Order: sequence, then C-alpha cells, then structure tokens
Amino acid sequence: MKKKKIGVYICHCGGNISDYVDVEKVRQAVEGEDIVFLAKTTMFACSDANQREMVNDIEANGLTSVVVASCSPKLHLLTFRNVSQRANLNKYTYVHANIREQASWAHSDNKIGATEKAIHLVKAAIAKANYAEALESNKVKAQKSVAIIGAGVAGMKAAISLSNKDCEVILIEKEPFVGGRVAQWNSLSTTTETGKEIVKRLYDDLITRDNITICTNSEVISNKGSVGNFTLKIKTTPRYIRQSFHPEDLTRAIEVCPVSVPDEFNFRLTQRKAIYKNYPGEYPQTPVIDIKNCTRCGACEKVCPAVDFNEKEEITEITVGSVLMATGFDPYTPGYGEFGYATSENVITLPQFKRLIDEQSGTLVYKGKVIKNIAYIYCVGSRQTKGDNTYCSRNCCTSTIHAAVTAKSKFPDINNFHFNRGLRTYGKQEILYADSLRSGDIYLQSYEDGLPTVTIEGNKTIVKINDILTNGKEIEVEADLVVLVTGMVPRADNKVGTLFKLPKGRDKFYNEIHMKLRPVETVIDGVTIAGACQGPKNIAESVNSALSAATKSYSIISKGELESEPLVAIIDQDKCTWCGACEKACPFDAILKVEDKGKIVAEINNSVCKGCGMCAPVCEPDAINVTACSSTEIMSMIDTLV
Amino acid sequence: MEESLKSICYDALVIGAGIAGGEAALNLANTGYKVLLVDKELSVGGKMIMLSKVFPTLDCAACITTPKVSEISRHPNITIFTGSEVSNIRKLSDNEFAAKVTKKPRYVHVEDCTACQLCEKACPTSVRDQYQFGLIGRKAAFIPFSICSPKAAAIDIDNCTLCGACERACPTHCIDFTMETETIELHVKTIIVATGFNLFDPNNMPRYGYGKFKNVITAMQMEREIAPTRPYHTILRPGDGKVPDRIAYVLCVGSRDASVGNPICSQICCMYSIKQAQLLMGALPMADVTIYYINIRSFGKGFEEFYQQAKGMGVNFVKGKIGRISEKENGNLILRYEDINKGKLQEAEHDMVILSTGVLPNKGIDGLFENETLYLDEFSFVGQSDKLASPAKTSIGGVFVAGAATGPMDIPDSILSAGAASSEAISYIIQHA
Repeated sequence: MKKKKIGVYICHCGGNISDYVDVEKVRQAVEGEDIVFLAKTTMFACSDANQREMVNDIEANGLTSVVVASCSPKLHLLTFRNVSQRANLNKYTYVHANIREQASWAHSDNKIGATEKAIHLVKAAIAKANYAEALESNKVKAQKSVAIIGAGVAGMKAAISLSNKDCEVILIEKEPFVGGRVAQWNSLSTTTETGKEIVKRLYDDLITRDNITICTNSEVISNKGSVGNFTLKIKTTPRYIRQSFHPEDLTRAIEVCPVSVPDEFNFRLTQRKAIYKNYPGEYPQTPVIDIKNCTRCGACEKVCPAVDFNEKEEITEITVGSVLMATGFDPYTPGYGEFGYATSENVITLPQFKRLIDEQSGTLVYKGKVIKNIAYIYCVGSRQTKGDNTYCSRNCCTSTIHAAVTAKSKFPDINNFHFNRGLRTYGKQEILYADSLRSGDIYLQSYEDGLPTVTIEGNKTIVKINDILTNGKEIEVEADLVVLVTGMVPRADNKVGTLFKLPKGRDKFYNEIHMKLRPVETVIDGVTIAGACQGPKNIAESVNSALSAATKSYSIISKGELESEPLVAIIDQDKCTWCGACEKACPFDAILKVEDKGKIVAEINNSVCKGCGMCAPVCEPDAINVTACSSTEIMSMIDTLV
Repeated sequence: MEESLKSICYDALVIGAGIAGGEAALNLANTGYKVLLVDKELSVGGKMIMLSKVFPTLDCAACITTPKVSEISRHPNITIFTGSEVSNIRKLSDNEFAAKVTKKPRYVHVEDCTACQLCEKACPTSVRDQYQFGLIGRKAAFIPFSICSPKAAAIDIDNCTLCGACERACPTHCIDFTMETETIELHVKTIIVATGFNLFDPNNMPRYGYGKFKNVITAMQMEREIAPTRPYHTILRPGDGKVPDRIAYVLCVGSRDASVGNPICSQICCMYSIKQAQLLMGALPMADVTIYYINIRSFGKGFEEFYQQAKGMGVNFVKGKIGRISEKENGNLILRYEDINKGKLQEAEHDMVILSTGVLPNKGIDGLFENETLYLDEFSFVGQSDKLASPAKTSIGGVFVAGAATGPMDIPDSILSAGAASSEAISYIIQHA
C-alpha cells in the first residue's frame, strides 16, 4: 500500500469549538503522526476561503486524504467530501471528526477533558483515513413520476405543480372525494373565495391534465423499493355507482336509502344516508355508497340503474420515483367532559361551529335553542400543561376570530366572548383581531395556571374565568353555546406513514430533516412531506410547503437517474451460512435470500441498503462488512481511542 | 451609449440573496436552470448570516447558513452579483423580461483577493461597521465580515481618503481604484423577488431613548453580541463596557402599533427575543433577563415548547407594554409599564435594554418595474394576487415573490415560500417555452 499523506484541519467554529477545546493543542498533538502531512487550524473550515485553501493544499502537496475536525457530519460531511472531489480526490477518502457536538458542547464544563477527547477523536479519524478507500457511487435509474398521498389542497397544488413540470403524477386519496379539510369550509379569512370554490378551482384544473391520475377511495397498502423506484400497491374501494348516471335517479336513490348515520363531513352535527355526497358541487361528482353502513336492502338499485353492487375492490401496482406525503391533520377531539364536551348539549367544537354557521341563516339556532351568547374557549387540545399536546396549533386563534366575525355579521344579535390564553394572530392576521375588537367582541384572558371552567347547571352552561385583563377579577358568562377551539392533531390513522417508516417528532407530526432549512425533506430519501402532516399550518402555508415539496421531489427525479451512496453492506458469500439473522436486523428490507452456487446465501439490494450496519454485528460467521466502516477501519479507530 | 452595454441572458433572475433568494436560486439551479442572483450588499446570506443562533433548534446560524452559501456560490448554474442593483425591468413578452443591472465598483478584484486583511491594517480611516450594526468600527478598506461570501475586501469609497495605503499594502495587487460602475443589460424568462425586509428604526420612538441612552440597543445589535463572530468576545453594554446583569427586552417596538404606522405583528420578535434570553442565561448565568410583552406568539413547530423551556430556565416574563424609558446617572435604565397581571403601574430598573424591533417592508420594489405594475399590499409588502392558493404569484405574470418581501416571516416559512416561488418559476419557464 502506498503511504498515505493526510491533511488535517481543525476548526474553531468561530468559538463554538475553540472556547472549550484548545484547537492549537489538538493540532500539535496530531501533526507529528507518521501519515499526517500537514495539520492546520482554521476559524471556519466551511468558509469559502478555507475550502479554497484545502483544494490548494491537496493539489499542491498531493494529499491522499483529508480529515476535518469540526461540527456534526450531518452539517458538513458533504461539504468536505465535495472539497476533496474538487481537488480530484475520491470523495469517499474524506473522513470527518465531530469535535463540536462530541467534545466542546458536551464538555463545556471541562476544557482540559474536552481538548483531550478532541485529540482522541481526531486521531481516530486519522486512523480511519489511513484505510479509507476510493469508492464509486451507485447509479440508479429514477422514474419521472411522483405519488402524492392525500388530495387536500396541499396534495392538489403539489400535483398541479408537478404536472406543470411534465412529471407524471398519481394522486391518491383515501376518502371518496377530494378537497380535504378546505372543502369543509365556506368563508375563509383574507379572501372572498370560499374553501369549496378553491377546491373546485384546483379540481377543474387537475382534471384537464393528462399526466395526473386521480385515485379516490384509494389507499397505499404496501411499499417496496427506494428513491427513484418505489413500488406501491394501491387498494381502491369501489363507489358501487357506475360513472354514467342520471342525476335525478341518483337523487331518488339517496332519498330512498333508509340508512341514517352521523355525517362526518359536518362533524356529526347532522345525519347522512349510506349512499351520499357531502355537498352538491363535490368532486368527483359521482356519489358513493358507504358499504360499511349499507344494509344491502336494494332500495337504491331499484330507482337508479347506475348502482352496481358487483363492482370489486381493485389492487393496482405503480412504480414512482418519489413519494410526496400530504395526509393532513385531524381536529382534536376533546375528552369526555373536557370543558363540558359530550356532557352538555351546549358545547361544540370549532369545526362544528364553522359548519353550523355555514348551514344556517337568519337566526342562529342550535338544538332548537336561539343562540345569543357564545363563549369560545381557546387552546383546547393545544398548549396542554397536563396532556401530550404541548404545542400550539398555530391556526386556531385566527380561525376562531374569523368564525366569530363571520357569525356576527351573519347573525348580528349574537355576542362573542373569547376566553383565550393570549392571542396569536401573527403577522398580518393582527388586523382581523383589531377588526373583531372594533365589532364589540369581548376578550378575556386566563392565567397560565387557571384555565376557564365550564359549569353545567340544568341546561345552562356557565363559563368562568379569572381574567388577566381586568386584574384577575372572576368573570362569568352564561353561554348559550360554548365553542371549544380545538387544535390540529396528527391523523389518527397513520398506517401509510408507517409503510414509509417516516419518523415522527415529539408532537407526533412527521419530522423533517432540518426544522429550519429543510422543512419538507425527510430522512427517507425520496419521500417529502407537505402541508399539515408536518405540523399545523393555514392554507397559504400548506400551499407553500406543498410547492416546496413538489420542487424537492421533482429535483430528485428530474434527471431520470440518481446517484446513491456506495456505503452499503457487503456479504462474503463463501462465509455466509444463511441463518436469516441479518434479514431480521435490517430495517430497510435490503437483504434478499438467494441461491448462489447451490448454496442459500444472503444478498444485498444496493439501492435499498443504507449502510447502517445493523446486519454486521448479528452475523455469526462474520460474513458482513460495511464499506467505509470495515472491521479494519473500525478496529484501527478503537485501537487509537483506547 | 447603448453599444457599450454588455448583454447577458439567464433563465431566471433572483433579486435578493438572503436565505429566501438563495434557496429559490438553488432550487432552480438544481433542476438545471441558469440563475442570476443579485444582491445590493457585499455578501450573500442576507440577514440570516448575521444572526447568532436560530430558534427553536439553537443551531448556530453561521454554521447552517455558510454551507448553504457555499453551495450557492459554487453552483455551476448560479452566477452571483453582489454590490449590484436591478432596475428598469420590462416585460417584453410572456417569456422574456429585460432589466438593467448596475454593478457598483468594489475597487477590489475579488478573484485575486486572499482576504489577508493587510489592507484593513493599512487603512487609516475608521467608520462605524454596518455589519456589526454600529457596535464597533471598521476601516474604509475592509472585509465585510468574517464569514462573508465572496470573502474578499472592499473599499468603502464614500469614506475613503484615497491615500493609497491599502494599495501599497496589498500583496496580490488586487486593489484597483480605476474600477467603474458597470451597467449590464439582462434578459431572463422569469423573475423572483426576494428582497426581504427592513427593521423598524427605533429612533422613531423617542420615548424609548434609543440613540440617546447608550445602554438601549436593538435586538439585531444583541444578535451580533452573542454571535460566534461577535465583536467583543463577551456581552457588554455599550455605555461603559460593563457586563450587564439585569437585562430587559421590550417587545413589539414598531409592531402592533398604529401610532408608528405599523399595525401588524412582526411574527418573529417574540421568538428571537426568547432565543436571545436563553443564550444570555447561558452566557451570563448570574444575569436576570426579563421580557416585557403584550402576547407571546410562539406559534410555530417547536416554538411553544421553546417558550416553556425559557420559563423553566428562569427567564422572567412580564405582561405589559413599556410606556417610557428614562436613564439614571450610572447608565441604568428605568422602565415604566403597566404590569397587566398585577393591574398596577410599575417601574423597574435594568442595566441594559434591548428593543425587539419589528419587520417593515423594503420599500420601492414596485419602482423597479417599467411597463407593468407590481402591486403592493396595504402595508407596502409585495402583493400576492392569489393569496391562499398561489402565495408566490404577484400581479405580474412570470414575476414571483419569496420570503419576507411578502410580509413578516421566519426562516422555515421563508424557505417554504422560496420553494413555492421556485416551483412556480420552473413551471412558468416550462409552460412558456
């Protein structure tokens, strides 16, 4: 083996490292190593000037490998691999040492210890660099198509955006109709367009496009493969109504259906039939038979020849290059008795209230009672001090004020009382708050440790609060209607997320790679997240994230080919005895059982393998090595460390 | 004269190289489009590159911005003009815009400059450093800031005495006083406006004493004090260099305040103030930090938890708007306010006050366009023609908007908005090919 010539750079990170680690001491400790040709310190290793200097050093001195001791490899591994590449070194000869998160930040109370640990980490990296080999990336063909899961506004916008870029789109919606939550709203703030009109506008655009396939009543039930080539199985439940139908026949069919179930579209405020459509202008226009609740009495069949109970469930298999998740949110369902929910007839949730004011005109009536005083209780299911939902749901303050203002303009006799915990009408939404104050809405704010209470006395509901804004005075309102401002929670049914092994955060929403700079990408290559499945958002924010996710998905597959890391597991098939332990340990289903020379052995699917190394330690005959983390490399690192 | 103009063509022009403009440019470039990225400052990176750490992850802003900046600077499909301004934009057809780019002379040949700082040492002229928000001085021959990109010196010609010392000191002879303003005629297919925001000038609120009381600073100045590339290496109050131990934050300075012409909420100040408070508690463990607020708006992902964490660390939150600040002889400050929780008028003494100034529009963007009208909204931010369903669209077809040019926005929202703008721009180019 040719003797290595290694360049070592130790970064101050502008004080993040050098405030606790004596970087000069680290430099001195490693410069004498046999294979170290040069060792330098630098203020910011990642700066352009330093990168240029590294390229010059590599080229001028013929370095064979570079080690940078700086921050987490998550931040800058790629940066320095690229530097090596620009200097005509194989980028996989680069080795990273993390002395910020692992030394300076972790041991800010012990500068001497932090420095010592940093020296060890850098020496270990040098030992690894001694064995680092040149590797070539794997090239994988990528399908120029994207599966979008969820046809709410985010999914629909992402579909249009990708279609515009000549990309094939399969838009998959679990519900029988598109439009998601926005289809449920009429009046929206900051626009005269209703939610239903926005959905119609998007749908009208969608259906003109040849490169978008819309699958409603459909669910992804399995996922194989990886970025560039995801093979998905889609299960489509039939509508039991043929495409061509006479609208009058269908109206009669709905009339004659004897079944009555709570209407989820109206948040169970009303009932619907087993054959139904949520609202007249809904898309697709074909109604659907809710087969779970259908009694198969046949009444609809008799009046409408388009009804067809012989339609069968279909399974389709598609292969796409990328998957864009836009599965949205659920409104929080209050617990039994939470602020009188389900224990008092006068208590409803904000989504129910929004449906209620949409449906009524003239006088506001709920359960036969004329409504005059409305109490809105904020942060129900959000910012919980005793529950799991510690987060703020972002959109509810504005949404509530908008609903209250809308209700007031439609039903001028009502009085709005807002029992809040500090209004969060951020940005331009502040104007709406000011409008509501001007229109006479009353705002009462609770102390953090004294939330409002709802007392039920007969058919009366009394809301009490110690109001911060009037010096803690106890104020009570006899409310005809109590509206619980319920926040957003992640979808209860998350099977599809599990299929893609999408990680979730503490708040149980899907987690992005980086909260600040990479909000729509996930750690699963090729899977992006859009809209409220990543965290609470309003419509405009969901659309922005949908278009961002579409751009990221598109840029992955637009070239029709992608490079994948050569860091994969390698099986020594002579040693392999196929015990199956590696297959069980692999979190990516990358290990296949194959026959080789008459022997059953394991084989790695390189495009799926992430090189995580879970398989190597469970292999009893030691038949598995991981590239760039071979036993030789790891042992040499351990020798240096101990 | 027209003949002397250089003419260049790109697929897209991105105006503003902050985090939104940079992200939009990268998205376009990564899908194969040629982008010209123009910024009037001497470095790319906008406001984000100047920050200390970011909420709620507490990542070092420099550490996460610089890789992005390097990626932008090195991208083969991106050309960057710093110190340059765009004007006279004309829409010639659906897929062609013409514009003028004026490149002001830097008086330094960037490709030859090694950022050795010898010119800085040689320069006899000192002025206030705008990149440290006036906390310290810099020379007239200077490197804008340590992590700027391009990392090269510049001559501040307005303050230069033309003594020639820098020229003599420069080992690579890259300083060149004969450089002239270049005007370039530009042709592009689409434009993204990512011109960012301005911060409210607290001189417009004399009752807080900014500019008069030395120990009243802005939150942006505090960002610099706690940034890794900070001017003092510790936290000092500017009046006398004392390390402060009773620090106050005044929120909503120039926001939610119709009396100064800005009725809207700036969306970021609560969070950056809470972040700074946490960093100060870490840097000065003995210091008391108080935040005076109207409402705490910790609405984003992880924000509420971050706010609760600050409370847990002992940051003191007081609900009440500061009415007036006065100065004591020793430089300490008396804050007069109504403590809403107690329902009482109160006064409190602090030795340093930080004004959390709000976000204002960067005015005059509409003036860049010649034959089309770029509509602004009622607050003078760039207007959105389809606010909910296509937030990146403006009143001009083919011109899109990203980031805080449309209104107050934090970093992730700017990234998302930039993603939307670049998505629309890519679609526009393909659809109008």
